[in-house]
Amino acid sequence: MLMMISVEHFTKKYGKFTAVEDVSFSVRPGSIFAFLGPNGAGKSTTINTLCTIMEKTSGTLTIDGKDVSTQTDAVRNVIGVVFQEPTLDLKMTVEENLKMHCYFYNLPKAQFQERIDFVLELVDLKDWKKAMAASLSGGMKRRVEIARSLLHLPKVLFLDEPTTGLDPQTRSNIWAYILKLQKEKGMTIFLTTHYMDEAEICDQVAIMDHGQIIAFDSPDALKKQHARDVARIKTSNQSGLERLLAEEQLTYEKQDQLYVTEASDLEKLLQVIKQHGPAIQDLEIQKGTLNDVFLNITGRNIRG
Amino acid sequence: MRVIGALWLRNVRLFMRNRVQLVLILVMPFFYLYLLSTAFKYAEVSNPYTYVLAGIVIIVVFQTSLNIATNTIDDIVSGYMKEILVSPVKRIQIAIGQILSSTTIAVFQGVLILIAGLFIGLTYTSILTPLAILGTMLLTGLAFSSLGLFMAAAVRNAQTFQVLTVAVTTPITFLCGVYIPLALLPAGLQAFSLLNPMTYAAAFFRAVSLEKLSLPAEQLVSEQLAFKVGSFIITPGYSALIVCLFGLVFLLLSTSFFSRADFTRMSRSGSKDIFQQ
Repeated sequence: MLMMISVEHFTKKYGKFTAVEDVSFSVRPGSIFAFLGPNGAGKSTTINTLCTIMEKTSGTLTIDGKDVSTQTDAVRNVIGVVFQEPTLDLKMTVEENLKMHCYFYNLPKAQFQERIDFVLELVDLKDWKKAMAASLSGGMKRRVEIARSLLHLPKVLFLDEPTTGLDPQTRSNIWAYILKLQKEKGMTIFLTTHYMDEAEICDQVAIMDHGQIIAFDSPDALKKQHARDVARIKTSNQSGLERLLAEEQLTYEKQDQLYVTEASDLEKLLQVIKQHGPAIQDLEIQKGTLNDVFLNITGRNIRG
Repeated sequence: MRVIGALWLRNVRLFMRNRVQLVLILVMPFFYLYLLSTAFKYAEVSNPYTYVLAGIVIIVVFQTSLNIATNTIDDIVSGYMKEILVSPVKRIQIAIGQILSSTTIAVFQGVLILIAGLFIGLTYTSILTPLAILGTMLLTGLAFSSLGLFMAAAVRNAQTFQVLTVAVTTPITFLCGVYIPLALLPAGLQAFSLLNPMTYAAAFFRAVSLEKLSLPAEQLVSEQLAFKVGSFIITPGYSALIVCLFGLVFLLLSTSFFSRADFTRMSRSGSKDIFQQ
């Protein structure tokens, strides 16, 4: 199968500093792909290079089979980009912003109105067509930017931290739009984020740190491999619990008053809980997260 | 072509929306006109009002051309430039759109003042004069819009650009014979004013708009429409040539500079990625 995005041995240096080092990966058409990693990991550098606005130091990067360094115009025509920082023209109305975009992408003038209405409908901003961009809230500006990036019906949509700085409700709304798009248009979506829950929705996740990809797989596979579910138990009968855990051959460690034990084998855990029932003061089962994956690979928290 | 047109229209529209700026730019020249025509009575000039007015028109064209380059800086700082750069629009198209729009606005300003000037005694005997005036304003506008874009592409930072504009505008403005007659300047500054492209733009524009192109060379020199360097006389014709050359150099410089400028380094995120390690 032809990959929509293909990156081979990509390296980017700023003077002596290496921002991205020998990174290779590929993205299937129609999938949602996430770059996960702390600030400064090289996510934006990679996205900026793929978007043709930054020159690589070495490597081969292609989108839809076209080289991003030599066939820039062909690449620019098939990608839509929402940058990390706002890029709306605040002194113009929403409609004027969208119209300029139509000109930039050389769309037929007869289609301007139809397309503008279509993308504004998509992000529920039809009533704001005549509003000045400066008068919109942060979330609405983001939605306009997403709408704008879709005007020329790109095959790949790049979203560089699309929800950073937005409130939880707006975040989930924006995600609803993104998922709707992907489903309806079969668009390939490439995003960077440092929110774990956002990465969980994706088909594939590449975890990046210090300019390198340290893990690459589906979220489930990554968690299965690098994270575990744990149960935290607080008990009034410590020796009793210790004996039971040993009986079920569950390893545990003691953190203050809490017993932390593996929870992947639910049957064994249920045995312990059933028998120890009355003495349990508190119980928490925590599923493995992508943050655990990151923590286990790098020894650091992603936000650290 | 369509893209250049769209970019041009956008910038012109942005300018028209700024009403306060429009009114101020229109009022200020007349304040200067009142102030300066008194001063120029002491220079050897036949009609100080029209002489000063012609100078002010061309200096407004110059200042506007340079100021409108702030649009480019605004677009870089606001992030909008990234949206343009990631699209299939060619950089040269962006540069041309910018230069043409600021030339248009500058000429528009000049024309407005000229129209007002008609009421205070500006008259033309030849039908060709208004056309020549328009042509000269276009030339001056193009030349200094190119300089403005060059500065914007070189600096790419709002604060630095502001300082740079003042640093460039002030000497050019005051050492071109429009606000202060060159004859009243000390010898050192007079020599410096001969290096100022605006001196020639102003001289040529005055010669054209006061219909004095055909005056004998000696009189042109005494009215400071021509300049004597050693035994060589820089006639208005040479002045026009100098402005053309200056404009051409900066047109090439600005477009090539703009085409190669790295705008990604400007973005906050870009620098964050580099320095937060």
